[in-house]
Amino acid sequence: MKRIFDTQLIGPFAAMVIVALVVALTTERFLNPGNLSNLSLQVSIVALIAIGSTIVIFAAGIDLSSGSMVALLTMILAQVLKFMGIPLVLAVPLILLAGGLLGLFIGLITAYGRIPSFITTLAALIAFRGLALTFNNGSPIFSLDPSLEPIFYGKFFNIPLPFFYLIFFYALAAFMMNFTKLGREIYAVGGNPAAAVLTGINVRKVQTTTFVIAGFMTAVGAILMSARLNSGSPNYGQTLELQAIAAAVVGGASLAGGRGNILATLMGAMTIVIVQNGLNLNAAPSSIQNVVLGLIILMAVGIDMWRVEISALMARIFRRSSPPQSSNIEKED
Amino acid sequence: MTPATPLWEFVNVSKAYPGVLANDKVNIRLMPGSIHGLLGENGCGKSTMIKTLSGVQQPDSGQILHNNNPVTINDPQAARDLGIATVFQEFSIVPTLSVGENIFLGNMPRSRFGVIDWGQVNADASRVLAEMEVNISPETITGTLSVGEQQLVEIAKAIAMDASMVILDEPTAALGEDEIERLHQLLRNMRRRGTAILYVSHRLDEVERIVDEVTILRNGRVVRASGETEINVSKIVSAMVGEDIGEHYPKEQNATADVVLEAQGLATRSGVKDATFVLHRGEVLGLGGVLGSGRTEIARALFGTDELTAGQIRLEGKPVSFRREIDAIRAGLALVPENRKFDGLFFNFRASGNITAASLGGLSRLGILNLWAEEQATHELIRDLEISTQAEEKTVNFLSGGNQQKIVIARWLFSDSDILILDEPTQGIDIGAKIAVYKLINKLTRAGKAIIFISSDHDELLAMSDRIAVVQHGAIVRTVNASDLTHDDLVRASADNSPSKPEEEFA
Repeated sequence: MKRIFDTQLIGPFAAMVIVALVVALTTERFLNPGNLSNLSLQVSIVALIAIGSTIVIFAAGIDLSSGSMVALLTMILAQVLKFMGIPLVLAVPLILLAGGLLGLFIGLITAYGRIPSFITTLAALIAFRGLALTFNNGSPIFSLDPSLEPIFYGKFFNIPLPFFYLIFFYALAAFMMNFTKLGREIYAVGGNPAAAVLTGINVRKVQTTTFVIAGFMTAVGAILMSARLNSGSPNYGQTLELQAIAAAVVGGASLAGGRGNILATLMGAMTIVIVQNGLNLNAAPSSIQNVVLGLIILMAVGIDMWRVEISALMARIFRRSSPPQSSNIEKED
Repeated sequence: MTPATPLWEFVNVSKAYPGVLANDKVNIRLMPGSIHGLLGENGCGKSTMIKTLSGVQQPDSGQILHNNNPVTINDPQAARDLGIATVFQEFSIVPTLSVGENIFLGNMPRSRFGVIDWGQVNADASRVLAEMEVNISPETITGTLSVGEQQLVEIAKAIAMDASMVILDEPTAALGEDEIERLHQLLRNMRRRGTAILYVSHRLDEVERIVDEVTILRNGRVVRASGETEINVSKIVSAMVGEDIGEHYPKEQNATADVVLEAQGLATRSGVKDATFVLHRGEVLGLGGVLGSGRTEIARALFGTDELTAGQIRLEGKPVSFRREIDAIRAGLALVPENRKFDGLFFNFRASGNITAASLGGLSRLGILNLWAEEQATHELIRDLEISTQAEEKTVNFLSGGNQQKIVIARWLFSDSDILILDEPTQGIDIGAKIAVYKLINKLTRAGKAIIFISSDHDELLAMSDRIAVVQHGAIVRTVNASDLTHDDLVRASADNSPSKPEEEFA
């Protein structure tokens, strides 16, 4: 139990709370119920995709393909709903399957072809956007299905449905990472792939699986994107992959792999969206928003890198006594 | 001896880190033309002294004298300017650069136009390497060399700067017997020219052979100053540990006549040519041979890492073939790899995650881990093996080398493997931890496990093995009872007919 809600969550949680407090104090409309439920809608797509991006990062990979994959999958969904007459109840699982298969494809090339994931997913980022343009002569497809929109806009007890998707998928991911063999193996592969091989972990299979998960979660995001706009477009999801990675990084996931907490990614995504929301409510131009997003990422990683120095500084400020004993930690060797 | 002026002297130098006094009023006199051994267990303050003398850190109090004049060494560059060259334990070479570039890194000879004079770089590097009698071209990319050769390049850097004071921190940890001999010859030459040498090593047998005087540290204090103890392994060990530790090699005879593993004519593309041997229940079979003779490759062949091109492995008489490591693990084999940092440990896990990593299948049902059972079982192992209790709370990067090594071995205790391959299990750990590993070997053989033991420390190999298989060029040339061999026999047997340079490379 102590591992799910461990100390790794404190920093990202504190960051989220501080950001929320600052925005709440400076912006009147922030705490309106309308705005808050709008927030959960805004954060949902990027936060769901970030689950996959984070799990790939845990295994020391990187997924740059999700933004383009969203575009491709919304076009496939639009195609099957509008032009092939396939009902929604079949189309949704079909898209989830397609996302998983695209992830499998990327994962196999990465793990078994021994090509760095930065390259395979960069190639996929470019290629998927191109593939999305091959549908409907490259034009968006609108007005897909009237029953599509409630997937995004629907409410349950007056709470937007995406809020429940977030709870469900993050709970599932946290369970997987902390309580299952697969989760442990993902951390092991990210921590030390050479040692993982020598302990009998099937490293390539584990790496491939992380991309299947990422593809599946991207499909979830793509369905919500289509539902939100009742359409498919080859232009959807631009830079979404970077926002998802930013959420993971702000949540403290180490890009070197093996370290991080999946729930912190949700907090990272919330932090980013709250800042964007605050800037929006104060009518800041979108150019400034990107500058601020860049600064947040830099700060989050900086705080992580300088953690030792910062805590030493805090210790000096708050108590004059000596820091905790560390005599058993041998500095040599 | 002449009462000469020390080249360097520490007078009551102290240095504290948060929560620990690493150096407590230490004194040392380093004489020109003398090899001075600096000894002590991990955490005794040796590294702190070295860092102070190389300008990496400043002492809190005390004086550093250079030819009797007080000096402050503000940074590593200041140390270099004062003629101090340090060969740190962790390599500071750049693997993607050439040997010549590494030797003169930061100090490249330049032509008049400020451009690097490559002719000069390679000529100077060749001269240094020739002086060392090392047969490496200065244009070789350093990363393609074996670990031992990289260590020699590291030492070449110190020689190239023509230092008057050379500090060597564990210089032989990665070297084979013949390379150690070459290094020692080099040090003797430097000593003759009047260089002061500070030599840190855990390999006390070689300390005995090479040093002129020793200073021994314990808990940050000098417990034996130069001249206060005989240079003799058992005297040194008891001064280091602070008590008479009794038997240095507590070997138990647990070998039986049951054959558990038979290897017949094994060969691999990685350099194993003809490995034939049997392993009995409760036995320790030592693999002796020089670095690069193919001992590690035999281990990899047994463990399913390298594919067999010929030969057959039998377990309890049944032929087996391992396509991957997992097949070998399922059949009851275990490998404690040579390099625990790169191949053994998960630094992102606490002890528990490291210990259970090879047994996740047995710990889970329908893919869900039993975390309670995991903590329970590892808690017991940590207590049994006397691993620091910090290991339960903190990730393993905070632990000493000895504790880390125990955790890697504990992984295979937990998985209940029958045959353990231990590749250099005591490399770089202190005496106390080494003895703990020997006791662990006894515990395993007592329980009927069989062990294949690879070590470059010949005394240890002879003392802890029941039988020794001598490996040359990837082939096992003969197998003898360990009690029938002496240290010299083993050195000669492993070196017989061997060319000056091993063919295989170690990574």
